[in-house]
Amino acid sequence: MQKFSSALKLKKNGILLILIIVLPFIGIFFSLFIGRYPLTWSDIMAVFRVAANSHVSQDFPDIYNTVVWKIRLPRAILGAMVGGSLAISGAAFQGLFRNPLVSSGILGVSSGASFGAVLAIIIYGQNYMVYFYAFGFALLAVVMSFFIGQIYHSTPTITLVLGGVVVSSIFSALVSFAKFVADPFEKLPSITFWLMGSLATAQYKDIYFSIMPISIGVIGLIALRWQINVLSMGDKEAQALGINNILTKIIMVLCASLATAGAISVSGNIGWVGLVMPHIGRMMVGNDNRILIPASFFLGAFFMIVVDNLSRTLIGAEIPLGILTALIGGPFFVYLLKKTKGKGW
Amino acid sequence: MSLLEVKEAGFGYGRHNVLEKISFQMEAGEVICLIGPNGSGKTTLLDCIMGIFPLKKGEILLQGKNINHLKAREIARIIAYVPQIHKKTFPYTVEEIVLMGRASHVGMFGSPGRDDSFIAYEAIETVGIQHLLHRPYTELSGGEGQLVMIARALAQQSRIMIMDEPTTYLDFQNSLIVLEVTRQLAKKKNLSIILATHYLNHAFYFENNGLTTFTAMLNEKNFAIFGRPGEVLTKENISKIFKIECKIIDYDLDELKKQKYIIPIKLSEKEALVYV
Repeated sequence: MQKFSSALKLKKNGILLILIIVLPFIGIFFSLFIGRYPLTWSDIMAVFRVAANSHVSQDFPDIYNTVVWKIRLPRAILGAMVGGSLAISGAAFQGLFRNPLVSSGILGVSSGASFGAVLAIIIYGQNYMVYFYAFGFALLAVVMSFFIGQIYHSTPTITLVLGGVVVSSIFSALVSFAKFVADPFEKLPSITFWLMGSLATAQYKDIYFSIMPISIGVIGLIALRWQINVLSMGDKEAQALGINNILTKIIMVLCASLATAGAISVSGNIGWVGLVMPHIGRMMVGNDNRILIPASFFLGAFFMIVVDNLSRTLIGAEIPLGILTALIGGPFFVYLLKKTKGKGW
Repeated sequence: MSLLEVKEAGFGYGRHNVLEKISFQMEAGEVICLIGPNGSGKTTLLDCIMGIFPLKKGEILLQGKNINHLKAREIARIIAYVPQIHKKTFPYTVEEIVLMGRASHVGMFGSPGRDDSFIAYEAIETVGIQHLLHRPYTELSGGEGQLVMIARALAQQSRIMIMDEPTTYLDFQNSLIVLEVTRQLAKKKNLSIILATHYLNHAFYFENNGLTTFTAMLNEKNFAIFGRPGEVLTKENISKIFKIECKIIDYDLDELKKQKYIIPIKLSEKEALVYV
């Protein structure tokens, strides 16, 4: 009998998959060496030596420790978490909605989060309330989309998408309105900066804030990854194949929204990753969500680390991430499309 | 206890009734050809039997259990479905598609294991499409695609296979391939088949090949006639239900067997006037 099953595929793709998993870790490691504060390779090696072995005496200023462990490391980790979450939820939504053009923001998560953040900035200024408002409104937007989609007593995916479109545009309008009335000297710049996405202020507390929703979401999606294959056959077929459509969809939407909301509430609005990284994944590992879903997470994580490193080194000031993801992601996507000739697509 | 028993089933969308008082039962290895004009409710009836829509009246019993009390997973272990048209979005490989037939045997947070892969491969072999194993199913021809759907249904290891107009978009050869594969499955695996079709001659095909075949003619929300193909598919019945004139000819299949064949000729006189 001919060898069947993923065993064969895994062997063929094994090296590629290991590479995809390892990439973000390599990315985080090298991020420690990159930045505006002038640290040489040997400075950083000295920092590592001290951290690894408490018996080695420290012969460099404390600021080195701060730069490496308190600024660069949390920023790289947070970048990986954010990029991974956006990409994995994008991949999940594409499967659920059987539509390759949807991204993590399809159910209004991003516009909900944007409005929440803008509202918090106007009320409280730039402080921790921004996270809670962004997160809360992101989930509120999804719940609203879901209930609008339920008007027809079931969850046909098309009405769910429509719900998402309606809710997105409502929150976008509210964001525009908030920008319109915001104080143009104090509030508007921080609103605009938040809306374009940034990890510039990343600290460990951002990681603590977002790690719960992101972990629950990502682990949930990875657990459901094969069911996404079946759901992408459409409602009727999925049910005939034995899937509890409504329950599975609710859990999926919840997980994807938690991950996305957790990510954008600390990073601001970062487009493109949730749309394109899943496609780059498809070209590399194929369409089987059993592999694609986890691969999207690691690819998104790596991509975000790279983009963030560029964002803080390319020019004197920080370039907002949303701008760079599009500028780098776009051409890279076209390159991959050309190279793989749309394989797996 | 029958494998499938439909009792006085009624269903409608909103106030508009589509099905009324439909009753029949089915045993293992039987074939039921469901025929009827467009819009007569064939697909709706199939959906009700699969538990996609809950009935408004009556009940459907699967192996003696009311379908309303069964989970999607439990129904899928008894009934598999081969769709009429399948909207293809992502280019999954044939292997990945057939493996989805195992969904009712895999937990909600699980992935199919080695046994599932083995069963899926067996289904692919049974249908005879091993050579397509790693091909993206979006690139397959209509006939090949339909065989993939049958393999997926087979991987479900259910006892009933519901097919909604499986040969509609196929050429002569591929139609016959699908019919023959279906016949073999009914014969060898004792699978029961419910087949909605516009090709009335399919019923004769199954009957002549030694399967217990029934034909249900659906018209105006109800079974106008239910019985053996020879009894149901008469000139009079077809003329009445489809409002056409037709001829039924006998031809020699071989020295012993004769097969009937229905030829539609033209619209009945009264109908024809409407379109002038």
